[in-house]
Amino acid sequence: MNELAQWRRRQLTDALARTLATIATLFGLFWLVWILWTTLSKGLPALKWALFTQMTPPPGMDGGLLNAFLGSIIMSGLAILMGTPIGIAAGTYLSEYARHTKLGGTIRFVNDILLSAPSIIIGLFVYEVMVRPMGHFSALAGAIALSFIVLPVVVRTTDEMLQLVPSTMREAALALGVPQWKVVRQVLYRAALAGIITGVLLALARISGETAPLLFTALNNQYLTTKLTEPMANVPVVIFQYAMSPYEFWHALAWAGAFVVTMFVLVLGLVSRGVLLRTSEYR
Amino acid sequence: MNDIVSTMEPTPLSHVTVGDTAVNASTEAPVKIATRGLNFFYGSAQSLKNIQLTVAEKRVTALIGPSGCGKSTLVRVFNRIYAIYPKQRAEGEVLLDGVNVLDPRFSINRLRTKVGMVFQKPVPFPMSIYDNVAYAIRHYERLSKTEMDARVECALRSAAIWEEVKDKLNHSALGLSGGQQQRLCIARAVALKPEVLLLDEPTSALDPISTAKVEQLIDDLKAHYTLLIVTHNMQQAARVSDFTGFMFLGELVEFGMTKNIFTKPTKKQTEDYITGRFG
Repeated sequence: MNELAQWRRRQLTDALARTLATIATLFGLFWLVWILWTTLSKGLPALKWALFTQMTPPPGMDGGLLNAFLGSIIMSGLAILMGTPIGIAAGTYLSEYARHTKLGGTIRFVNDILLSAPSIIIGLFVYEVMVRPMGHFSALAGAIALSFIVLPVVVRTTDEMLQLVPSTMREAALALGVPQWKVVRQVLYRAALAGIITGVLLALARISGETAPLLFTALNNQYLTTKLTEPMANVPVVIFQYAMSPYEFWHALAWAGAFVVTMFVLVLGLVSRGVLLRTSEYR
Repeated sequence: MNDIVSTMEPTPLSHVTVGDTAVNASTEAPVKIATRGLNFFYGSAQSLKNIQLTVAEKRVTALIGPSGCGKSTLVRVFNRIYAIYPKQRAEGEVLLDGVNVLDPRFSINRLRTKVGMVFQKPVPFPMSIYDNVAYAIRHYERLSKTEMDARVECALRSAAIWEEVKDKLNHSALGLSGGQQQRLCIARAVALKPEVLLLDEPTSALDPISTAKVEQLIDDLKAHYTLLIVTHNMQQAARVSDFTGFMFLGELVEFGMTKNIFTKPTKKQTEDYITGRFG
């Protein structure tokens, strides 16, 4: 009898825990779906070809977001180009050369702090050390600020993905008398490649919506420019500016920009999942 | 160019003239490896105690003993693979052809080309079958495409896997079965033309058929290499080896010709172990 009562109690606890977990999930999903739906319903109608062919307009005129898209691509691309090699090198150092050392642990800890640092602080930092001495906003400062966000993400994923490579593979490669740096480059990177690429893609997704660091560094530019020493338009800051404005048409453009960025991030997420899945099957 | 010829057919040394089966194994075979007062520590825990072992050239020497007795630790000293872990350290001497390889001045990578190793779990690299074998060779030698092809084929042949993979050399090595992967790992080690092959429980992750193939291979490889095999499986030690060492709690309790160890062990611990009373 006692056993039956116990069994009933377990069933009840299980049902309760399950219900709570489901509610929590639905609660989280609800806001996410709402956000996506708003972006979709407001952004999709504003999506026109002109968006990709015309510049950001002054109030009362037609236009698109060409200069902002181009600026975002240039600065994000530069940030990835700067952040990825340094990040991979640092992640490799942490995993392969300083795994159990105090120094490695400290660097890992500091990197995690950088990873969760508010991006506005990064913007302020670059503003202080670059924008103020130069005397004006610039795309280069924007790209550097973004690369500070890329860096810790790539360091962390490289470190983690390399640590996931079984130590037996390191041993097997080193046992062939091949020096460590070659083993890292030719065997371990290959084994961890999918994870590292995913890290870079996630970093790209992360910076494509960052506004605060760009506000202090690249600011904005009404015109199309590819000069890195000048202020440069970019999608997040344009969204911010236009959404705050009183003009309907600017609002529509902001929504369209938000929609495109969201879709871009979504596609990046899918691609990185695909990369991981394909190679895990291969393994 | 001489090198290629020897590539095609690993040249057996002529001065060793002994029978080719375990029964005929002679204790007169030259010593390839000898350890003197070898101690080993994981941090402060000592796991090898004053090991004095001799390994005969072009013979199979087996190390048996219960889990944790130090047999894997011992072979891991011979190519200094333990050195990649900062807390592990060895004291004493390991003489390879009379030269102490534990001396820090002895190049670790040169040592590892002379003393190859095959691990418990097959670890193919995430690249093609061909590249798995060619990988380490590329680091040491500049070979033309045909020379490399010949070298890879030779290694795969001597690991008795050539027939199974010759039509898919460019396929990923990760697609091979466990037994094939392990023979590929043997090919990879053999490709560098080492003098000694360390086999750390090479068949413990394999099915019986693959195990039989690897054991046959060990018998074939004996003609050209000095083999040292760690095994959990006493029948395996009895089948493949000429000499056997029994280890217990970090000590080499008994060492001798395999047939003697298994038929008339002199130490009680050895007898208890091989008769299955513990371990």
